Amino acid sequence: MLAFITRRFLFMFVVVFGVSVLIFSILMTFSPERRAAVYVRSPQQAQNLPQLVESLGLNDPFYIQYFRWVKELTHFNLGYSVVAARPVWDAFKSFLPVTLELNLYSVPIMIIVGIWLGTISGIYHDTYIDHITRIFAIIFWSLPTFLFALILLMIFYGYFEVFSPGIISDAYSVYIHDNPDKYTQYTHLLTIDGILNGRFDIAWDAAKHLFLPVVTQVMVIIALLLRVMRSSMIEETSKDYIMTARAKGADKKTINFKHARKNALIPVVTVAGWLAAFSMSGSIEVEVIFTRQGLGWWLANAAIQLDIPVIMAMCMFMGIIIVTANLAVDILYAYIDPRIRLS
Amino acid sequence: MPKLIQAEDVVTNFYTYEGVVKALNKVGLVVDHGATFGLVGESGCGKSVMVRSMMRIVQEPGQIEGGKVVLFFNGDQQQEAVDLLQQSEAYMEDLRGNHISMIFQEPNAALNPIMSIGDQISESFLFHRKKEMSKKILEDLSADDCRVFLPLKKLQQTLYTIAADNPKSFILIICSKIPILSLWQRRLKREALQRSIDIIRKLSISNPSETVHRYPHNLSGGMKQRIVIAIALACHPMLLIADEATSNLDVTIQAQILELLKDLKKTEIASILLITHDLGIVAETCDRVGVMYAGNLCEVADVEKLFQNPQHPYTKALLESVPKFSQEGRLRSIDGAVPNLVSPPSGCRFHPRCSHAMEICKQTFPEEIEIEENHMVACHLYVK
Repeated sequence: MLAFITRRFLFMFVVVFGVSVLIFSILMTFSPERRAAVYVRSPQQAQNLPQLVESLGLNDPFYIQYFRWVKELTHFNLGYSVVAARPVWDAFKSFLPVTLELNLYSVPIMIIVGIWLGTISGIYHDTYIDHITRIFAIIFWSLPTFLFALILLMIFYGYFEVFSPGIISDAYSVYIHDNPDKYTQYTHLLTIDGILNGRFDIAWDAAKHLFLPVVTQVMVIIALLLRVMRSSMIEETSKDYIMTARAKGADKKTINFKHARKNALIPVVTVAGWLAAFSMSGSIEVEVIFTRQGLGWWLANAAIQLDIPVIMAMCMFMGIIIVTANLAVDILYAYIDPRIRLS
Repeated sequence: MPKLIQAEDVVTNFYTYEGVVKALNKVGLVVDHGATFGLVGESGCGKSVMVRSMMRIVQEPGQIEGGKVVLFFNGDQQQEAVDLLQQSEAYMEDLRGNHISMIFQEPNAALNPIMSIGDQISESFLFHRKKEMSKKILEDLSADDCRVFLPLKKLQQTLYTIAADNPKSFILIICSKIPILSLWQRRLKREALQRSIDIIRKLSISNPSETVHRYPHNLSGGMKQRIVIAIALACHPMLLIADEATSNLDVTIQAQILELLKDLKKTEIASILLITHDLGIVAETCDRVGVMYAGNLCEVADVEKLFQNPQHPYTKALLESVPKFSQEGRLRSIDGAVPNLVSPPSGCRFHPRCSHAMEICKQTFPEEIEIEENHMVACHLYVK
C-alpha cells in the first residue's frame, strides 16, 4: 500500500513537470516583442522595446527561458497582474480564501447528497422516489449554470431581497478591514473567522452570501453524481454475489449498504474526485454571476484583458489541483478495492 | 424415508417488457431426508427459478404467485411443517443460510470482490450464530486466564449476556452504531473468523488461517467454489441446493467438488438438491431425479429406474441425445427449440416437439400420475 502511494506520488511530480512545460510552450508561441510589451508602462518604454527584449532575455533558447521561469516560480515570483493591480502571488493569496470557502461547503454537500440520492434511487429503482429524483437530475443537468444562477438571483435577491450577491455586507467588510486588533483573520474564511472571533453576526452574514453560490454550484454536480451512482448501484444489485449474500440470509440493509454500495462506489469515486477538482479550480460562472471576487472571477477578468501572468499561474494551479485530486482518488480507490491495493 | 421439503404447484412468473414469462407452471417436488435429488433439464427450463422460488430469492421482476413450499423440520410430522411461502421476509432471512443454503453456478461472480474471504464466511455466523458465539465468548471471558482490564471486562460481559439472550436487542444495535462502543463486536468477529477457518479447513483448503485474509481475485476457480460451499455449509444446513455448482469448472476440479459434496452429505448436511444439465453427474451422485421441461416437471423417478426405464417422451429423447462410446452415426438431438415461455404451447408444453403427440396433448395439460411405485410421469400416453 505504501509502495503504491509512493509510486503515485512520484508520478505526480512527473505530471506537474509536463503541465509546466506545456503551459510555458503556449506562452512561447507569442513573439518576444509581444511578451515584452507586458512590461511596458509608458510610450517612452515602448520605443526601447528591442532593448527590453534583450535585457529580459526573451530571445534566449527555450530551455534557458523555461528554467528561468521555473526559478521565478519557486520564489513565488509570478509576475504582475494588471487586473488585480498587484503582484500575481499577492493577488492569488487574497483571492484563494474566497474560492476555498465556497468549495469548503459545496464539495462535501455535492458528494454526500449526490451519492446518497443515487443510492436511494438505485435501490428503489422504477418506483416513484426514483422517478422524482430522476426528473430532478434531468432538469438540473440540462439547465445551464448561468441561467440557473440568474433565476435564483432574480427570485431571492430581486423579489425577496434575502440573499444578496457579493462576499459580505459592506458594513462588515469595512469593520473587518478597520479593526485588525479586535477581529483577527485566522483563516481568511469569513464564516469560520466570524465564529472564531465570536462574531456570529458576521459569520451569519457571510453564510447568507454563500447560500446561493453553493446551491448553484452543487445542483448540477449532484445531478451528475446521482445518475452515475444510480446506474452503478443497479448494476451491482443484479450481480451474482448479491444472490450469494441473500442465500446466506443477509437482510436488505446489509445487502444494499454493505455489499452493493461499496462496490457501486468504485466508479463513482473517480467521477467525484474529478468534479471536486474542477469545482475547486473552475467556479468561474458562479463567482462572476454572484460577484464573489475569488480565483474564478479573477481568471475570467484576466482572460478578457489578456493578463498573461495570471492565466499562466492559474493554469499551473489548476494542474496541481487536478493532479492532487487524482492522487487522492487513487488512494481512495485502493482503499475501497483490494484488487488495486494488492496488485 | 421422511420428507424434508415438499414443493407443491409452485407458480412463478416474470413480468418483463415483452410480456409475462411463465417460468414455472405448477411444479412440485419432494426431497427426502438424507437423499440427493437431481433436477435436470435444458437451459432455460426453470430449474434455477424452481430452487430460487423454494428459497424465495427469485430476482426482480420475478414473482412467486402460488403453491406451497413445506419444510418439515422434524421428519414427516405435520405439526413441525412450515409453509415457506406464507412466512415473513424476516423469517426467511433467518432460515436462509441457516437451514437451507445454496451454492451457485459461477464461482468467479458469486463472491463479493472487495470483501475478504474470512469476512464473507463470517457473515453467515454473524447472521445465524450470534447467540451461540456470545455464550462461548462469555465462557472465555469468565475463564481465569482471560486478561482484560476489569471495567472493560464487566462491560463486555454485560453486552455479551444481552447478546446471548437476544442478539437483535435494541441496546446492541445502538452500541454498534456508536464509534468506540462498537468495538464490543471485536470478540464476536474474531470468534466468527475462527469458525470460518475451521470450516474451510474441513474443505481441505491448504493454509486456512492465511486464506481467510485473502480476496477472491487471489484464488483459483476451484478454490473459489470451495469458498462458496464453505459459506453455504457454515451453519450446517438441512438442505444444500447446488445450482449447477460444477458446470463452469474443469473436469478434474468438477470431480473433486462432487466428491466433496458426497463426503459432506455423510457428515455435515442432511440432503442435497442438485441442479445440473449433465446426466453423467446425476447418474453418479443422485438417488432421485426430476426432469424438467419448459417450466414443468415431466418425470420423477429413482435414478436407476429413470435411466433404465424412462417413460416420458422428453426423458427418452434427452437420454438418447447423450453421446455414448458405442455410438455410431449421427448423435440424435431433439427437433425444434425450447418454447418461448411468454406464450408457451397450449396443453402439454412439449407437444410441438413430441413424436407421440396426440390431439389431447394440444388441449389439456397432463396430470401427474404414478405409473409404478415412486415413479411419476406427466404425460397423456399413460392413463390412470
